[in-house]
Formats: sequence, C-alpha cells, structure tokens
Amino acid sequence: MVTTVLFYAFAAILLVAALGVITARNPVHSVLFLVFAFLQSAVLWLLLEAEFLAITLVVVYVGAVMVLFLFVVMMLNINVEELRSGFTRYLPLGIGVALVVVIEIANVIWFRSEGQAFVTPTPHAADYSNTKELGGVLYTEHVFALEIAAMLLLLAIVAAITLTMRTRHRPGLKVQDVPAQVAVRAEDRIRVVKVGPVKE
Amino acid sequence: MLANYLPILIFVIVAAGLGVVLLGIGFVLGRGQKDQEKLSAYECGFEAFEDTRNRFDVRYYLVAILFILFDLELAFFVPWAVSLDAVGLFGIGAMGVFLALLVVGFIYEWKKGALEWD
Amino acid sequence: MSVVAMLFFIVVLLFALLAAAALLTWVERRLLAWWQDRYGPNRAGPFGILQAFADVIKILLKEDWIPPLADKPVFVIAPAIVAVTMLLGFAIVPLAPGLVIADLNVALLFFFAMTGLSVYSVTFAGWASNNNYSLLGSLRTAAQMISYEVFMLLSLVGVVILAGSFRLTDIVDAQRGMWFFVPQFVGLVVFFLAAIAETHRLPFDLPEAEHELVAGYHTEYSGMKFGLFFLGEYLGMMLSSAMIVTLFFGGWLGPPFLPPIVWFLLKTAFFVCLYLLLRAALPRPRYDQLMGYAWKFLLPVALLNIVVTGAIVVATRSPAEVGS
Repeated sequence: MVTTVLFYAFAAILLVAALGVITARNPVHSVLFLVFAFLQSAVLWLLLEAEFLAITLVVVYVGAVMVLFLFVVMMLNINVEELRSGFTRYLPLGIGVALVVVIEIANVIWFRSEGQAFVTPTPHAADYSNTKELGGVLYTEHVFALEIAAMLLLLAIVAAITLTMRTRHRPGLKVQDVPAQVAVRAEDRIRVVKVGPVKE
Repeated sequence: MLANYLPILIFVIVAAGLGVVLLGIGFVLGRGQKDQEKLSAYECGFEAFEDTRNRFDVRYYLVAILFILFDLELAFFVPWAVSLDAVGLFGIGAMGVFLALLVVGFIYEWKKGALEWD
Repeated sequence: MSVVAMLFFIVVLLFALLAAAALLTWVERRLLAWWQDRYGPNRAGPFGILQAFADVIKILLKEDWIPPLADKPVFVIAPAIVAVTMLLGFAIVPLAPGLVIADLNVALLFFFAMTGLSVYSVTFAGWASNNNYSLLGSLRTAAQMISYEVFMLLSLVGVVILAGSFRLTDIVDAQRGMWFFVPQFVGLVVFFLAAIAETHRLPFDLPEAEHELVAGYHTEYSGMKFGLFFLGEYLGMMLSSAMIVTLFFGGWLGPPFLPPIVWFLLKTAFFVCLYLLLRAALPRPRYDQLMGYAWKFLLPVALLNIVVTGAIVVATRSPAEVGS
C-alpha cells in the first residue's frame, strides 16, 4: 500500500522532471531536470526491489554520463533560438517518431501482457543481498554476455580516443614543454663572461 | 529490504529542508546595498573580453568519456567482489578475461597519449 | 527503531555535524597556527573557541549577492547540492553497533553516488557565475573529481573481497581479527589520496588555487551560499575520514575500556587532523601532474591490488569452497 503511494508520488515527480527536460529554454537547465529524472527513476527501480541496479543507475548515469552531457551543453555554446527556428520543419518527423514509441509502449502494456497480471515484487528480508545474487549468475551463467560487454567497452575506449585525439606534435607546431621549462637551470641559459679591462 | 530505505527518505527530506533553511536565513539576513562596481563580474582590472561560456579543450570531454567507461567496468567489478565465494574458479577466470580486455584498452589509451596533459 | 526515534536521531546527527563543521574551522586555524609558530584565533572565549560561532554569525549576516549576469536558479541551487549530498553521505556511516541511520546492503555504492552528485555542485556553480575564473576552476574540479572517483571505488574492491559484503557494519565486523589497513595497505593509500582529491583539499586544491584562479568556482559567491560550499568541504573531509576509519581501521572496534562510539570519534578526529596537517606540510602539484598521477600511477596500482587480493583470497580458502 505504502509502496503504491510512493510509486505514484515518485512517478509524478519523474514526469514533471521529464517535462522540464524538454520545455526548459536553457540546455543546462534541461540537464539539471534530467539528473533529477534519473534520480527519480532510480527510486522507482528501488521500489521494484532492484537495489543494486538502482544505485548503479545513480552512480553511472547521474555520476558519470550526465557529467559528460553537462560538459557538452555547457560549452558548446548552443544557440537555443537557432535550434527553435527548425521546430516547424522537424515537427512532422517528431510526431512520427513519437507515434511509433507510443504504439510500441501500448503494445507492451496491452497485448504482450495479456493473461499475465503485473507481478508486484516479493519483499525481501533486510539482509537479502541483491548484488550477491546478481554476481552469482552474471559470472557463471551469463559469462558470454559479460565478455561481450567487455569487448564493447574496449571498442568504446578505442573509438573515443580515435575521435577526440588530435596529433599534437605535428612538425612545425610550437608546443610548451612544461617539465623541460621547469627543469631548466641557470647554467644552461646564462653564460657569465668575464670581461677584462680593455687595453689601448 | 525497502524498510532499510525509509530512514534514507526521511534523511533526504530533512537534509534538503536544512539546505533550504540555511539558504533562506542567508537571504533574509544578508541584505546589502548594490552599486555599479559591486554588480560587475570579478575581473583583474579589465572588462571581460568575451562571453565566459565558450568552447574549451576537447581533452576535458575525453576525460569525461573515459570516466564513464571505467565507471561501467567498475559496475561489473562490484558484484564480482561480493560473490567471489559463489562463482568459484570459473568466475575468477571470467573476470580475468574481462580485466585483460580492460587492460588492453588502458594500454592503448596510454600509448596513444590520451593520458597526457601537455 | 520507530519513526519518531529515527527522526530524532537524524535531527541530532545533522545538528552535531553542522556544529562539528563549524568547530573544525576553528580547529584548522588553531592547528595551522601551531605548526607555523603563530597564535591563530585566540581571543573569543577560551582558546578562541567561540571564534567558530562568531564566524557563523558573520557569514549569515554577509550580503547575499547574486551577480546580475548569473543564471539565478542554478547559482542558488549549486551550493546547496554539495552541502546536502555530503550530509546524506553520513546516513550510512555506522558510529557504533546499531547506531547507524540506514544499514544498507549497498552502503559503499551509496557513498559513491553521493560523492558523484557533489561534482554537479562545482560544475553548476562555475557555469552559473558567468566568470572566467569560476568556469576554469569548475572545469578543473569536475575533471579532477571524476578522475579520482574511478580508482577511489577501485581501491575499495579489495576491502569488499576481504569482507565479502558492501554493508559497512559487515565490513567493520570482518575486521575483528585484523584491521584492513594491514592487508589492504595499498588500497588505503590510494583511497586516502583519492579522498583528498575528491574533497579538493590541499595539496590537491587546484580548483581553488588562490594565486591563479582566485578561489575558482566560488569566486562570485558570498554570504551563506559561500558558507554552504565551506560547509560541504568540511563535511566532505569528515565523511572521508569516517569512511577511512570504517573501511580500514576497524570503525568502532577498539580495546573495551572506552565505548565503541568514542573509539570511532577518536579515530575519525585523528584522520581529520591528518588532513589538516597535509595542508601545512605539502605544496600544490601542477594540474598535469595531478591528472597524470591519477591515470598513470594510481589506476594501475589499484587494478593490481584487486588482482593480487582476489588471487590470495581464492588461494587461501579451502579448495572445496572454491570448487563449489
């Protein structure tokens, strides 16, 4: 009973936050709303007794992914007015995508769930460790998926570096070598010349 | 299990309330007079040349991306560390392969100079 | 615990934390003065202890100023984020057996979620201020904090392997035989360094770097909003000291002539003082040194620590247990 009330409360906040993401005029405000939306969805996962996943959602999405989002929108100097000028042009496409999503969700909710009631998760004891259970199957039964995830992450590392790294030391490019500058000693730069008296 | 989180919920509400109260007290008590100089941005004698919010080095984005990736890898370490007893030698081997792939990525990163801040 | 008792405990803890943070500003100045052969604040009250409260009153009465070009809502929210998340971090710290607000299964991850959230505080503050110094400072902070966060968690995987749990009370109980700083000394060193960088305390206070960035992300802050950043910093220092004690130094464990909570507080106070001593002892590194150190030295060391710990734990457990 309490969990149902909590669910609707947090779901309502989530919806408001999600609306804020798309209506905020400033992209940084959108990110702020999105962070809030992620926090709320973490709470919803928690209500489903998915303790580890909920906290991972906060650590990974809120703690990491959104920081990158923030970096990008903060600094890319997005001109909101310019973006808005394309609004009517992209409107039909946007409505089309929205319709597809609505149909997909409706399909999942009404047709796939036919005959099976929504299962409320069984409450677990206070010392039940979701993480342990997850680990128990992840590294034995689903080991193949685990290694594929590792490959994907490796691919992502390589891709990120290839996309963002510029060759810094092109020939002819002047760069500052800070350690070399700091390591300079007076003897390397200054030559003390003893000038004797000039004889006529 | 959910009962464990009730104190957290209360704590969040109380702590957030405390934050609002502290900000509010500061707002109410901290009145002052405004003048032209006070209203300008802090600078070292010059007016700002351009808008502050500007593009900056791609390196910061790269650090953020690498952070996401390592954070994800960590999310896999965590259940492994807890269930080390349950998964046995097979689980250790699985993690070994996972870690080896991570190390390959790390070496690539290092050799490519993605970790340099020159 | 009934809800009323819990609420009482929470309120008491929050006010104790606020008072401790205020007092810590005085302790810091007195200790620094002592190390540098000065007096420090010694006028208000015995040993100048009332200086802490005088400062609180002063900061409340200072003009609460918002730069006209700033983004007002974000500017106001930013300092509250760090103070609130750092306060929340204390919800999982076990002060003594049974004396913890929430004994979560995923307590360690909760701690990381909270430190992760505090990154937003500095980033939003620097962006909202619309000032070059603030922006540079906040960028540096964000990059520094996210880099050090990676192996902060990595350094603790060893502890989790030894204790077999994420729950902090289990971790403390697992240290009855031996405190974890002995088998996990590498983890302790990495965690301590990361904790300093996370709270951006000296010597890793590059985001603030008075001489080049004039206090970085909080250049434009004044009054209580500045006070909240300060509060967040001191709370962060206490929180990471409390975590070091819980994870590596046996938490509330200690010889029985003192009650457990006293042991916990004494150990935490010791690490807070160590934090302050670092400020008096060490110079600030360059930014490229700081980042290079994180990714090229601490990250491999932390990974190696996990591999070695895992191998030793598996090797020393009975074969039947491992083969199951």
